[in-house]
Amino acid sequence: MNYSLHNTVLFVENLSVAYDDRVVIKNINFEEKNVVIDGRTTGQTIAIVGRSGRGKSTLFKALTGLVQPTAGSVLIADTTRSDINAAKAVKEGDVGFVDQKYTLFRNKTISQTFEFALRHKNMSKAEKNDLIKTYLDSWGLEKFKDQYPCELSGGQRQRTAIIEQILSSGHYMVLDEPFSGLDVGNIESVKKSFRLITTQHDLNTVIFSTHDIELAVELADSIYVIGYPTLNGNIADYGTIVKHIDLKKMGLAWSEFDSQHLQLVKEIKEAMLQS
Amino acid sequence: MKKFFTPFEKLSTAQLAVINGSWVAALFLFWYIFGMASDTHLFPTLGQVWEGFLGLYNEGLVVHVFSSVWLCLRAIFISIFISLFISYLSPIPLLQFVSKTVSKLRYLPLTGITFYLAMMINSGRTMQIWVLVIFMSTYLTTSLIGMIKDIPQEEFDHARTLKCNRWEVLLQVVILGRVDYVLEIIRQNLAIVWMMLVTVESILVASGGLGFLIKNSDKFMNHGRIVALQLVILACGLLIDFALVKTRTVLFRYSKI
Repeated sequence: MNYSLHNTVLFVENLSVAYDDRVVIKNINFEEKNVVIDGRTTGQTIAIVGRSGRGKSTLFKALTGLVQPTAGSVLIADTTRSDINAAKAVKEGDVGFVDQKYTLFRNKTISQTFEFALRHKNMSKAEKNDLIKTYLDSWGLEKFKDQYPCELSGGQRQRTAIIEQILSSGHYMVLDEPFSGLDVGNIESVKKSFRLITTQHDLNTVIFSTHDIELAVELADSIYVIGYPTLNGNIADYGTIVKHIDLKKMGLAWSEFDSQHLQLVKEIKEAMLQS
Repeated sequence: MKKFFTPFEKLSTAQLAVINGSWVAALFLFWYIFGMASDTHLFPTLGQVWEGFLGLYNEGLVVHVFSSVWLCLRAIFISIFISLFISYLSPIPLLQFVSKTVSKLRYLPLTGITFYLAMMINSGRTMQIWVLVIFMSTYLTTSLIGMIKDIPQEEFDHARTLKCNRWEVLLQVVILGRVDYVLEIIRQNLAIVWMMLVTVESILVASGGLGFLIKNSDKFMNHGRIVALQLVILACGLLIDFALVKTRTVLFRYSKI
């Protein structure tokens, strides 16, 4: 599929995070550009894979501004400025974050949750209500709008958590292991959510982690493997990016899963095992 | 029948009702036999307790019940206000010392404190309330701090990703997000205050109350009245407990504690 790369949407430079004296991730560098395909809206879908304890969750917290980097920076596109190349350092609330448990406010119904997520938006009450209604309808939550999180099914909870973050943040969404512990139906539901997000705006960028490499290869157009690097023959004890796979360049993005994808799955697993 | 003795066996509601009913019947039977067998009637018979209850009722038991409940409610209201204020400020590093200290004060005996309270407070009723408040605030603060500590980090992070500043995180996650827990904490700590009634109500006999009645009956070794009063105190406590659980589940539909 023909595509072109435009302005940078995510720029991570020399990112390091340490808790007290323990360095968790170090020297993480990557750049993602806005992918444009003529005639259709295409956001970016980025997967971060790696073995447990390699710093995926810490990287996500840094990408969402929930932890301050010890060194380096995370820059995202500043859509409030007219300059298309304008960038800003990420801060809390700029990037939506959905954790594994799909955490929601336990004391707010779905409608109240969405109203709260929109509270800072410069829109009239009627416009907000219309927007909420649109999301409730298109994501199949209209019937449940007055229910609390404890009254929702796993799938309804996921959709609510994702919409809440879409409404609150801008174009970026980070999901930490969104497929963990889900049945086939709910996995399909989350995959559909990804498609809904990335087909709504060109700048919409979904970053997710998963232990299911087949799913990562199926859904992402760019995959980063995070692991312990080998330096001078020794394995370091901090996480960093050890491999990047650009599925767009390889012609594997946005296409049916086939033998080439399977071969890539093997390569990624190999890279993970070595790091 | 074998199921009744098998650990972790799930029984039907009817079967559980039979078991519970049997226990209550056995208790009354034991009481009846024990009361009959003892010549000294050291433990009163059912008849003596009933007689004691009727006597208390005719002497204005209901007024005393309301006096005790009202004292308890006033003390709880003030102590929950103080405890909430202290514990909601506990996430602020500068004030953590205050909340931790208040929590630790639960090990301090009340005996010495009542002397200073008596010097500061003229009214006996106010004195009763403040003894309960001081006693209860330390326990409530301990439970409320525990409640805040038990909130998963994900809930704080979730609020932060929704552009909540730190004060909004406190409001949304801790204060509004855990209102139902406060009722549950009151319920759990209420038993302590209820148990303190006898001690506290003996400070001021003129105010009456269940504590005064039981103390008075104890003085005259009227065991029928004492047991009747104990049962009344137990019933009142259970009723308040039930009311708090109901209030929580009715007011907070999402509350699944």
